[in-house]
Amino acid sequence: MPRRNITVILLALLAGTAGSVSDAAPAAASPVAIVIHGGAGVIERSRMTPERAASYRAGLGAALDAGYEVLERGGSSLDAVVAAVRHLEDDPQFNAGRGAVLNQDGDAELDAAIMDGAGPRAGAVAGVHHVRNPIELARLVMDKSPHVLLVAGGAEEFALEQGMALVPRGYFRTEAREQELEAARRAAAARASGKPTTLIMPPGVSASMGTVGAVALDRAGNLAAATSTGGLTNKHRGRVGDTPLIGAGTYASNDSCAVSGTGEGEYYIRQVVAYDVCALVHYSRMSLAQAVHEVVQVKLRRTGGEGGVIALDRSGNIAMDFNSAGMFRGARDSRGRREIAMYRDAGD
Amino acid sequence: MHAIAIHGGAGAVPRATLAAERERNYRAGLEAALDGGYAVLERGGTSLDAVATAVRLLEDHPSFNAGHGAALTRDGAAELDAAIMDGSRLRAGAVASVRHVKNPIELARRVMEKSRHVLLVGAGAEEFALEEHFSLVPNQYFRTPERLEQLQSEQRGEHVSDLVPPAAQGTVGAVARDARGNLAAATSTGGMTNKRPGRVGDSPIIGAGTYAKDGVCAVSATGHGEYFIRAVAAYHVCAAVEYRGFTLEQAVHELLHVILRTLGGDGGLIAIAHTGRIVMDFSTEGMFRGARDASGRREIAIY
Repeated sequence: MPRRNITVILLALLAGTAGSVSDAAPAAASPVAIVIHGGAGVIERSRMTPERAASYRAGLGAALDAGYEVLERGGSSLDAVVAAVRHLEDDPQFNAGRGAVLNQDGDAELDAAIMDGAGPRAGAVAGVHHVRNPIELARLVMDKSPHVLLVAGGAEEFALEQGMALVPRGYFRTEAREQELEAARRAAAARASGKPTTLIMPPGVSASMGTVGAVALDRAGNLAAATSTGGLTNKHRGRVGDTPLIGAGTYASNDSCAVSGTGEGEYYIRQVVAYDVCALVHYSRMSLAQAVHEVVQVKLRRTGGEGGVIALDRSGNIAMDFNSAGMFRGARDSRGRREIAMYRDAGD
Repeated sequence: MHAIAIHGGAGAVPRATLAAERERNYRAGLEAALDGGYAVLERGGTSLDAVATAVRLLEDHPSFNAGHGAALTRDGAAELDAAIMDGSRLRAGAVASVRHVKNPIELARRVMEKSRHVLLVGAGAEEFALEEHFSLVPNQYFRTPERLEQLQSEQRGEHVSDLVPPAAQGTVGAVARDARGNLAAATSTGGMTNKRPGRVGDSPIIGAGTYAKDGVCAVSATGHGEYFIRAVAAYHVCAAVEYRGFTLEQAVHELLHVILRTLGGDGGLIAIAHTGRIVMDFSTEGMFRGARDASGRREIAIY
């Protein structure tokens, strides 16, 4: 092993010991890290009450720690991203799983994807209505089928074949999302009748660029990415965004990086955003932070695509960037970093 | 220079077994599509119109695995995917898992032009088709005796009939450059024979089976879709040209013969550079393909 690597490892160990009081430093020298997001459609700061802010923070913190625990006990990055995303799917505040936004029919219509940077292997589902945790079904597609993407009824048939219990559509619906759908319908009707209007959301409801996702690096040095969403409020049935499309909203490769995106999905699809970040890292020799900046602040801005991404590389470098008002996000690593943030300033 | 290339799928079609009459039939289908697309370019039309025209002709031809004559799912139904991309404005439209749209490529184009979305799937895509005044056709429209036989022999566990090219890798597509220098790509498929309902391959996924960006390249792929998705194949080719200064030939070669080979996936693709130069390459035994450009080149090939 070159001397330089040894130095880096020693420094990492020292940093780890200095940064945390708890466990003895693990024998393994490689860093572990997890980054999550809960969507880029953050409520305007002026309308965010302290109670709601605390509640979002608690939800993000719980998901972050659930994923981190998996890594800390030596689990895989795949298990970590699933644990974190499942937490966010089960939390009704976020636009995925229970509490997902409703489509034009008043139903949640869910998409999810997972990718294993060590494969590359991937699994994804789109347009499902009865799967409690779409990220788990995406993982089954990856692990138990020869396919990558299954959609709609065919995906649910596969879920049943795999012994998954389906849930009724009502499981996903919450009062807040029903109000949000009503507001979106009124705005659409007003637009159709030619009245100038803006979408006025009920108090405490965010415009729905929310999506949830996680990227992680495990002790073995493997990267993984996972993303899950309900898509857009009042969306056309059958509309699929970037989330379940490998390369667009979700991508991981041990050769470059792991990325999960959130934002206006159509822009992310056309610009192959998640893969583009990794291609810039791999082929243009950009740092992870430079690549994320290039894609989010330059290329997406140029086309008008709003949103953000979280990304992680094999050295444990973390990038969280967005060109929207805010992005629910969190990061935790074995160097002692733990942060949750919503707006531009870290820690806010 | 305006130019167009098309493909009608890649696969192992043992040369000896492709009867002369069948081969003539495939060649005639490819020629009609190639010339149909080229005629659009020649009269000053857009690359977008050219690829849509060529792909529609291949969809209508029963020998190719798209539209009429598409491969059948394990339920015996046709389930179709298609995508189109306009390299000049990075606009794209796609549909997946539709069962009643005669020309999926036209619906994909409508998604691009008349909706805020890029991808619509399943019944929701067909609802959109109705909203856009498409008339739907019964699923039976797509079914041909050859595809039914192919499904049955596959379900009996037999070797797929040598007379029909394996649908697994059959897909149709086109890439074009028009006189203004705009690039476009389009792909359409019925997917794999005996596939699980709901399975979507690379064709309708922007970046995987279809991509176009002016000044860089346009790509349409055909092959084992899952591998092309994991490799983000079409965009990988364009990224290699844009970020690494590869020639289009180098980029396509690396994807097919290094990256996909390592992953274990076979197939082929057609690509066109911003200059109008055409690259057609494959890792399978053959690929139905054709190319025509303003310099007078016109070729149809299988092996």
